[in-house]
Amino acid sequence: MKTFWERLGHAAIRMLEDSADTIVFAGRVFVRIFQRKTYSSAMREVLVNQIYFTSVQILPVFIIVSVFFGSLLIGIVFTILKDLGLTEFIGHVLMGLIVTELSPFLTVLLITLRSASAINTEMAVMKVNREMKTLETFRIDIIDYLLAPRVLNGIISIVLLSSLFSIVLLISGILFAKLIFGMNQDVYMNMLLDSTRFSDIIIMFFKCAIYGFFITLIPIRFGLRASHELTSIPVAVSRGMVNVFAAILIIEVLSLLTKLY
Amino acid sequence: MREFPLQAAPVWVDVPLISNQEVYMNIALIKKYHDNMPRQEAWRLAVDCLGKIGLEHIAYKRNPVLTSEERFGVMLLRAAMVRAAMILIVKPFELIPHLNDIQMVTSMLKTIDELYVSCHIYDYQWMQEKYGDL
Repeated sequence: MKTFWERLGHAAIRMLEDSADTIVFAGRVFVRIFQRKTYSSAMREVLVNQIYFTSVQILPVFIIVSVFFGSLLIGIVFTILKDLGLTEFIGHVLMGLIVTELSPFLTVLLITLRSASAINTEMAVMKVNREMKTLETFRIDIIDYLLAPRVLNGIISIVLLSSLFSIVLLISGILFAKLIFGMNQDVYMNMLLDSTRFSDIIIMFFKCAIYGFFITLIPIRFGLRASHELTSIPVAVSRGMVNVFAAILIIEVLSLLTKLY
Repeated sequence: MREFPLQAAPVWVDVPLISNQEVYMNIALIKKYHDNMPRQEAWRLAVDCLGKIGLEHIAYKRNPVLTSEERFGVMLLRAAMVRAAMILIVKPFELIPHLNDIQMVTSMLKTIDELYVSCHIYDYQWMQEKYGDL
């Protein structure tokens, strides 16, 4: 009978092997994204459809959530800054915390809930229905046709939606700056521009791209692990989603560490 | 399939249609992927081919709502989209269980004979009587 430490060790080794597999798999998909032959007419069609499902269909809900949540967030942050007498740091807080940290994080949470779960289920259902075998039989590369467009869509959608979220937040900031601080629009804009660093924007886009890559890749990977039984679908989906949330937290922590050093 | 891996085009219950795509998209997929055929052109070709076997009315339907004959027709056309296709029909009576003879399959094959190079049908020995003189 295995001792507690043996079981723990086995679990740790399995987790490490699993992570290594995911990284190797990510590398294969990443390389394909830059290969010209990946972009067949079929792949481009899937890419356009995926962008439509992820970025366009969600827009009304996304804008409403951005306006409500963004206004609430800006209102709270501005009130705290006023109470602490830190009005001059509005720009730094807006750019450093809200635009580069909270916008990508909230966007990725919304997209994970809506699209990553859908991708995970879609892959698992295709596996159960033996549709993957169909693609293989007709010599259609699964990475080119299924994975690359979804991963690319993840990157594009998170970057665009996160930018939209930031824009909505900054616009609602104009209103709150006037209400709370009696600040003129030009002063607000100047404070923002003074606090904007090009490197922060690049880091934000880079982080969004990494989020987009992993929140689509991990659900695909776990969806493909489903067996040919229907009962494997919920197992594959729940495992995939837990791993996606773990990946989001890891990326967030790594990005904070990057900022510190 | 091993001898002509690029031309082999199976029609088989184990190679199902993609369920989240309409019939015309299932057929067009092969041309779009292998020949990089533009989307609209591939779709038109798929609908035209469906018309040849009298199935244009199912072009915008999906797999679960198709009858066995319709599903077979779509799988046959999808196979015929492979370049210089060598169609392999595996156990056709498993795909259309209520069929009494192979007549329907052969007439469908004759209608689209310009789309493929050759066609082979594989089945169990004991199904021989359903094939008649074929």
